[in-house]
Amino acid sequence: MGAPAASDAPLEYAVDELLADGPYEAPLVAGQVRCHGGFDAEGRYRSPRTLQRAPAIRAWQAQLARDGHELLAIDAALMPPQYPNVEQAKLLLREGVRDPVVRRLTIISIVEGFGAIIRDVKVPDLAALVVEPIEGTALAHLRGGLFEAHARDEAGYRDEGGHKQMWEAARDLALENPRIPGDVLMRMLGQGPGRRRERRRALPRLDEALETMLATMAQVLAVEVFAMGAFDWGERLLSDPEVSANPEAAGSLVSYIRSDESPHVEYLRSALSEVSARSLRCVDGGTIPGREAVRVLLHATLRGLTRERREEQRQAIRESLLDSMQAHAQPESLLERYDALESAWTPPAKTGFEPETPEA
Amino acid sequence: MRLLVRLYRSLRIAATAARVYLLYKLPAWGRRLLRRPEPEDLDASHERAARILLGTALSLRGVTIKFCQVVATRADVFPPAVIEVLKQCHDAVPPQPFPRIRAHVEAELGRPLDQVFRAFEPEPMAAASLAQVHRAELLDGTPLAVKVQYPDIEQIVRTDLANMRRVCAVYEFFDPQPLELRPLVKELTNHLALELDFLREADCADRVRELFARDGTVVVPEMHREWSTRRVLSMQLVDGIKITEKEKIQAAGLDPADVVQELMRIYTRMILAAGFFQADPHPGNLFVQPDGQVVLLDFGLSKELPEGFGLGLFELMFSMMTLNESAMIRAFQELGFETKNGDPSTFLLITRRMMKRSDTGRFEGEFTEQMTDELFDAIRENPVVQVPSDFVLVGRVFSLLSGIAHTLGSRANVLEAMGASTG
Repeated sequence: MGAPAASDAPLEYAVDELLADGPYEAPLVAGQVRCHGGFDAEGRYRSPRTLQRAPAIRAWQAQLARDGHELLAIDAALMPPQYPNVEQAKLLLREGVRDPVVRRLTIISIVEGFGAIIRDVKVPDLAALVVEPIEGTALAHLRGGLFEAHARDEAGYRDEGGHKQMWEAARDLALENPRIPGDVLMRMLGQGPGRRRERRRALPRLDEALETMLATMAQVLAVEVFAMGAFDWGERLLSDPEVSANPEAAGSLVSYIRSDESPHVEYLRSALSEVSARSLRCVDGGTIPGREAVRVLLHATLRGLTRERREEQRQAIRESLLDSMQAHAQPESLLERYDALESAWTPPAKTGFEPETPEA
Repeated sequence: MRLLVRLYRSLRIAATAARVYLLYKLPAWGRRLLRRPEPEDLDASHERAARILLGTALSLRGVTIKFCQVVATRADVFPPAVIEVLKQCHDAVPPQPFPRIRAHVEAELGRPLDQVFRAFEPEPMAAASLAQVHRAELLDGTPLAVKVQYPDIEQIVRTDLANMRRVCAVYEFFDPQPLELRPLVKELTNHLALELDFLREADCADRVRELFARDGTVVVPEMHREWSTRRVLSMQLVDGIKITEKEKIQAAGLDPADVVQELMRIYTRMILAAGFFQADPHPGNLFVQPDGQVVLLDFGLSKELPEGFGLGLFELMFSMMTLNESAMIRAFQELGFETKNGDPSTFLLITRRMMKRSDTGRFEGEFTEQMTDELFDAIRENPVVQVPSDFVLVGRVFSLLSGIAHTLGSRANVLEAMGASTG
C-alpha cells in the first residue's frame, strides 16, 4: 500500500463501503476455482474489497501522522527463515520426497483460512474503554468492516475462493495435483499438549475483552508480517521451472496473495498505533498509556513466535520430514545434503517492543 | 436360546412392523376410496409410529433398542417427529439377574469369581442393551469396572437381525415407494459386530489413549487384558463428574464453557486429525475430573475413517463456517456425496439453502449446529442425494456433542476447536 501520504479520502465508512470491490475486466480463476479479486484493463491484478478500504487505511494513517504519532512497525529482522528453505524444498522435490513440501503448502493454506476467525473476535465498547475519541480511526472500523473484509480475504466468501483456495490452487498447479498426505491434519492439530484452560493475563488492569482483542490483533499482525517470508518462499519455489509444472501461474497466485495481505498489515498497524496514541481505562478506575499496553502485547507475541514457537514448529516439521525420507533409496545421504542447505538464524536479542515502564 | 423366546421375539417384531405399516396405509387407502386429498402434515402419524417402535424396543431390548438408536441418527431419512421420539431411546434398561452374570463371567474367565476378584458387586453400575457393568476389586485390591455381555445376546442379535431383514423384505414387496430400510439394518449389523467383540473394544481404547498420550487432557481407562475375553472386559475404574451435571462441574471450580470447548477439541482431533474416534459420545460415556481432564468410556462403537475423509470433512465444516459455497460443493463431492442424476446443481441448491441461515456472516458454535440441522433437513427433503454412511456417524457424534453443549448452557466454537485461535 505504500507509505502514508496526505489523503483527501474520508475517515468514516459504512461496512458495505469497506467491503466494496472495484470493477474488474476479468475474474481471477485459480485452477478451476473462481477466486476473489480480478484484473483491470491492463491485465494487472487488483485485490478484493480495496475500492474504499485501501484509501480509507491511507487516510487513517495520514491522520495519525498529522497528529504527530508514529506508525508502529515490526522489524523484518525478527522474521524467522522458512523451514524447509527454498533450496531444501527444491532438493526434496528433485529427489521425489514430495510429502513434506505438499504438507507444508497444505498447512499454509489451512492457516491462511483460519485467519477468518478474526471475524469472531469480540470488540468491546471501545468508545467507553479508550479515553480519547476514536471517531474517524481504523480502530472505530474494526467491527465495521475491517475484520469482516480480512476474514473474507483469507477463507473466501460465497462463490469466491480466498487465500486458502489460492494456496491450494498454487500447490496443485505447481505439483500437478499431488496426493495430500493423510497425516496433514494430525501433524497440524494432533500433537503436543492440549489447549491450556487459563490464559495468563498480561494486563490484568485492563478490561479482559479489550486485552483479548488487542492481544489477538498483535498476534495476527506479527503472523501477517512474518507471512511475507512464506509468500517469498512460496513464490520462489513454485515459480521455479525446475520443480514447478506451472511456474508462471503458480508463482503469480502467490504474488496476488501477497498483495492482498498488504491491507491486513496496514489496518492492524494503524489500529494498534491509534491505541498507542491514546490512554486506556482500567477496571480499577485508573488509566494506562495505550503505548505500554501495545508494547507489552507485541513484545510477548514476538518473543513467542521467534523463540519457543519457531523451535516447536521446526521440530514438528523435521519429525515428519524424517518419516517421509525413509522411503528414499539413501535417506542418510539425503538428510546430510538437506542439512547442509540449512539457513543459520539466531533471533535478534530485542523485539523492539520491550516494555518501557516496570508497571506495565 | 429357547425356541419359544425366539418365536415370541419374531412375532413381536412382525406385529410391530405391521402396526406401523397399517398406521400409515389404512388412512391412505381410506382417503383414496373417498377421493380425499393427502394430508400435508403427517407429524401425528410419525409420532405415533415412533412411540410404537419405542415401546417394542424397551420391551424386547437388545437389537431393537440399537435399531431405534440408528433410526434416531438418520435425520437425513426420517422426519423430525420420529427422530424426536426415538432420541429418547437410551441404553438405560433393567439389568440381568446376578447369578446369570456370575456364571457367565466364571465361564468366560475359566475360574470361580473369588479366585480373580476380592469383591464383585452384584448390583451393576450401569446396564445397557448389550451388556452391564459391575464394580469389582482384584485380589490385590485394584478397583475395576467389569463389563459383562448378556449371556445370550449373540443369539438374540442373530434372531432379531434376521427378523428385521425379513420385515424389510416384506415391506419392500408391498410398498411401491419404500423407505430404504435395508441399508439401516446393514449398518446396524456392522455396528453390532463391532460392539460384541470386547477385545476389539480394548484395542480401540488403547488406540485412543495413545492418541492423547502427549496431551494430558484426556483419560481413557487402562484395560486389564488378563481378565478380559470377547465377552467380558475388565478395565480401570475411573471416577468423574457426569459431563451433563452442570452444577457439580461448577462446584468443582470448572467452567462448563471450557468443558464444552475441550470436548469439541477432543472430538475434532479424533475425527478430523486421527481419522479414528469413539463414536458414542452420549452423556453416560463422558465424565470430567476435578482437574478438568475429560474421561472417555465405552469404545465398542469406535470407527476408523477412510484415508482423506478427515480432511474432506474438515473442508466441508470449514467451508460451512466461512460461508464459502464453491468450497462446500467441492467438499460434498470429495466426501462421496452423490446425486442420482449426476447433476451437481443439487449441491448448489442445498448449499444456498444452508447459506440463508446466516444473516450476520458469523460462524460461532450455534451457527454451525444450525447449519448441520439444515444440511440434514435439506438432504431428507431432497432425495436425489446419497449420503456416505461415515458422514452419518460423524453427524450423529456432533449432534450428541451439541446436545451436551446445550445441557451445559454453552456453545463450542468449532473453528477454534480445529486449531484456529482468537487469542
